[in-house]
Amino acid sequence: MMNKNDYNKQGKLAVEIGALKLKNPVMTASGTFGYGEEYAPYVDLNRLGAIIVKGLSLKPRHGNPSPRIMETPAGMLNAIGLQNVGVKSFIRDKLPYLRQFDTAIIANVYGETIEEYLRVSEILTKADGVHALEINVSCPNVKKGGVAFGTDPDMVAEVTKRVKGATDLPVIVKLSPNVTDIAVMAKAAEAAGADAVSLINTITGMSVDVEKRIPHLKNVTGGLSGPAIKPIALRMVWQVAAQIHIPVIGVGGIMSAPDALEFLIVGARAIQVGTANFIDPRATMNIIEGIEAYMKRHHVVAMDDLVGSLRI
Amino acid sequence: MWTGTINFNNRIGPQHLHMAVRLPTEFMDPVPGQFVMIRPAGGGGTLLSRPLSIYQFVRNQDHVILELLYRVVGHGTELLSQLTRAAEVNILGPLGRGFRIDKTPSHRILLAGGMGVAPITFLADYLEGRLAGKYELKICLGAKSCAEIVGMERIKGMQGLLNIATDDGSLGSCGLVTDLLPNFTQGCDPGKTMIFACGPMAMLKTLAEQLAPTGIPCQVSIEERMACGVGACLGCAVTVHDRRGKRVQKSVCKDGPVFNIEDICWDQI
Repeated sequence: MMNKNDYNKQGKLAVEIGALKLKNPVMTASGTFGYGEEYAPYVDLNRLGAIIVKGLSLKPRHGNPSPRIMETPAGMLNAIGLQNVGVKSFIRDKLPYLRQFDTAIIANVYGETIEEYLRVSEILTKADGVHALEINVSCPNVKKGGVAFGTDPDMVAEVTKRVKGATDLPVIVKLSPNVTDIAVMAKAAEAAGADAVSLINTITGMSVDVEKRIPHLKNVTGGLSGPAIKPIALRMVWQVAAQIHIPVIGVGGIMSAPDALEFLIVGARAIQVGTANFIDPRATMNIIEGIEAYMKRHHVVAMDDLVGSLRI
Repeated sequence: MWTGTINFNNRIGPQHLHMAVRLPTEFMDPVPGQFVMIRPAGGGGTLLSRPLSIYQFVRNQDHVILELLYRVVGHGTELLSQLTRAAEVNILGPLGRGFRIDKTPSHRILLAGGMGVAPITFLADYLEGRLAGKYELKICLGAKSCAEIVGMERIKGMQGLLNIATDDGSLGSCGLVTDLLPNFTQGCDPGKTMIFACGPMAMLKTLAEQLAPTGIPCQVSIEERMACGVGACLGCAVTVHDRRGKRVQKSVCKDGPVFNIEDICWDQI
């Protein structure tokens, strides 16, 4: 029997990102939720809107040397360097496990070259159980690819167009905040056929051990995430949502339901939870429940009534 | 994630504390070498939890007591050190793969440098409970100075021969804890010996070099900065040789923190 107060089960939290239908707007951000199974002891993966897996490259990548992370005021720096098992091992070893869940699986795609982005996208498109692709043109911690593509609107457009031509899956382009005007990148992705954009990836930063006069990260710089970046992410999502017609997925420092609601209200169709997973494995569950409680309290019966409802 | 209540959080050295946390009985029994991620309830000033290895674990009828031994090294541990009785902490765990305890070796050597004494004490206690009298046990503790040798009372009460080394010679012999080892490994049968060690990476690296020609098996518990504790963030990577000798990345939190000493690529550290 359906609990008549369960908005999630009734589909009142449902959202659509192009052709991708999600039972609720809460996704896990790439690189913060492993391949899903790491958090299965703590979270009912069926309750998530979507799981976005760690960025996948054609070949396995070892990533950067340690130390790779450092806590900073209200945030953390990371320079993992896209350590991943490679797309083939993902499909063979990780995807079968994820297929059992009634949750959208989104593969984050990384390449050093456009050809690599295309090849990884093609392989994932043929795999059974991948529901959408998120194109990573924003990783700040790799020497080639990643943000090198995401800071040039022509390159963003080129990668997007080519990937769109190679897949029939919905394509989300994940944008970097390390640019002068992120809306320019979002418009470039939209014009090239992207089904959605997600923003923001981490903000490049650094931290120094003054006693030893060495950087805390072996990679010297890293990507800043966590509550420290939330106001910046929110401002960028608000700006971008006002300028494009495709869905915007908000990400950056979301720790709680009120944080998630801020993003939805400024125009994000869905949100991603990242760093919060590290601190409380059940953060996504609390956020879903909190959004549901808010909707009941404010008599909101559909996500459309919430998304972009900011009053200025 | 569990909410625990602090029973005590006593200063036992210049920067060293001994904490006992009361937790619900659903908290699973840890094995020596496992750890928890801990932070003041609600964060209280830090974002991430801190990984601390387990010092002692006692199961009672309606609760369990988890003991931790830690040193203040930064902001996170500083905040933990300020907590007093009845304060609440958020705990995730027990986490990771602990020491593998094979029943065969009859000669066991436990080596602890600095705060490595925490898991090593838990291990000594565990061995005493499970394999009492069926093996020969030697415990070596090392630290910078006498003041930094902590938790000695508990370990003294256990079976096994205790040896101490301090960098300045203020307690035990003067030198590194690894200097004590040759006395115990000389002439021993590698097939019947197992070394368990925990301490700073420099100590473990020395140990690796020392043991390489002897063929004596050794398990080490290593440390790395980590954010999640469950293998998701990939922050605590360590390079190891896999079965075919290929270099691969492992997570200290999930694949470790205990590794076979010869599997770790020490040239990367």
